[in-house]
Amino acid sequence: MSADHTAGTAARASSAAFQIDGRGVVSPIWLVLAVIIIAAALISDRFLSQANLTAVLQQGVITGLVALGMTIVLIGGQFDLSTGTTVMMAAVVSLLMGPSTPAGVALAIIVPLLLGALVGLVNGWLVYRAGANSIVATIGMQFFLLGATLALVGGQHVRSENMHAVFKGLALSRPLGVPVPVFLFVALVVLLAVMMRATRLGRHIYAIGGDAEAARRAGIDVVRTGTLTFVLAGVLAALAGVIIAAMVGVIDPTAIARYEFPALTAAVLGGTSLAGGIGRPADTAAAILIVSIITNVMTILNYPFSHQLMVQGLVLAAAVAFYSQVREGR
Amino acid sequence: MGTVKYIELTGIRKQFGGVHALRGVDLAVAQGEVVALVGHNGAGKSVLVQIMAGVFPPSAGEMRVSGAAVALNSPLDARRHGVETIFQTLALADNLDAPANFFLGRELRTRFGFLDQARMRREAAAALTALNPQFTDIERPVRQMSGGQRQAIAIARAIHFDVKLLIMDEPTAALGPHETAQVGALIERLKAKGIGILLVSHDVRDVLRLADRIVVMKGGEVVGTRVARETNEDEVVDLIIRGRRLAAPEPA
Repeated sequence: MSADHTAGTAARASSAAFQIDGRGVVSPIWLVLAVIIIAAALISDRFLSQANLTAVLQQGVITGLVALGMTIVLIGGQFDLSTGTTVMMAAVVSLLMGPSTPAGVALAIIVPLLLGALVGLVNGWLVYRAGANSIVATIGMQFFLLGATLALVGGQHVRSENMHAVFKGLALSRPLGVPVPVFLFVALVVLLAVMMRATRLGRHIYAIGGDAEAARRAGIDVVRTGTLTFVLAGVLAALAGVIIAAMVGVIDPTAIARYEFPALTAAVLGGTSLAGGIGRPADTAAAILIVSIITNVMTILNYPFSHQLMVQGLVLAAAVAFYSQVREGR
Repeated sequence: MGTVKYIELTGIRKQFGGVHALRGVDLAVAQGEVVALVGHNGAGKSVLVQIMAGVFPPSAGEMRVSGAAVALNSPLDARRHGVETIFQTLALADNLDAPANFFLGRELRTRFGFLDQARMRREAAAALTALNPQFTDIERPVRQMSGGQRQAIAIARAIHFDVKLLIMDEPTAALGPHETAQVGALIERLKAKGIGILLVSHDVRDVLRLADRIVVMKGGEVVGTRVARETNEDEVVDLIIRGRRLAAPEPA
């Protein structure tokens, strides 16, 4: 049995080349990442310096957190385009909580995370209970959050004076020379990877993304499971917002970075299927690193932002074409 | 048939908007009894099956399991009462492999709460090869598998757990003669083990061979019930086509 099994696995690995489902063989994205790291090191000797590597990691974290949430929602078979605005809302609320005292710090972390969860709950309810199209429903949520946040602050910048050292440390302190958000991100990647691969919840998320009706007929509570994916995405986006707040201490709510699209890009680049049921959090993390490294190297080489955008667009298009080929080829 | 009826449906109605899909259906299956449900497309067989499987509730009527009134509000409820269904669509998640589909919704866990992948793989492999010895390489997404293999997964998982009533919705529609014969043999085995079977089928000849009783539906109603041994193909086909205009239903 075990010899058979090993032979079978080997045969499959070589014949199908890649197994891009939620389990099994390692995704090709890691090979691409390795090649890109080597190439970057060859192109610029500054790339491998500790300061630069830290910058690469830190650059990826905010989008990375949003992308992890996006990946889970996509595996469940839906889209969440409200996460970018959730980041902004959470950052604003976090600063409004006045993180200058210990109690303020606690509120500045907990309240945004709860709001992120609430946003996810409403998204989940709209999509899985009421049956709304997730793209439209979460775009609606995006508008609502933007309006609500602007109303909350009267369109003004939000600033927190005398931020408590603990709150600042959330973004800026560097145990072992690595910023705290990077540790957080890595821990979350591991946690979500385990959740998706080795728990009932993860298995059920893959199932509802593969065939929601089949999952329902197998006794899975599709509404609860699906809603949880949106709650996770909301909390992760809110966490990104809190980190931004701690990092900069001042937010212009009208200047929103549109995190949802880079996050979607990373998820797709990592092999997450837009049709649901396929993808892995760790592969999304690898994709985030790839995008960060490309941006970083182009910055080092003084390519303008416009060129960086073009390269990112090409990489995404190539990735989508590649995955379609591989999946249809089977 | 003096046995206690395992499941009993009385006056089951189902309306979708203005459409009356079921107009007061009575149906009962005893343990170890094979009841066939036949009728044209649109006769209401599929709606009845889905109600019994907990996919959606009836608009009116009563269901009893082992004599006690029950509400099957979800597929999970139906499973809890020992009602397992093999849907015509098979209801498999195409992106998952055979063990994952086999245990879908009732995954085994280790004592730390994680999925017990090794045990699920072992048990699914044993159950699948018992049904189909040629079934190897079960750890592929089921979308890569043949129709027969997919069918085997759906059947194997329906009978692996504590099944009391097995509903088979057109189990042989997609199968060749050899596989159809295997399904027939399986029905005999399950019957001998005291499992009640509701066999939904188009194929009257099949049904005459396998079933104890044949229930004919037309226009959302039961138009006749016949003991398989005491009827013939012509009579059943006549019932299916003409319904109660020629053949009055038996008194309940």
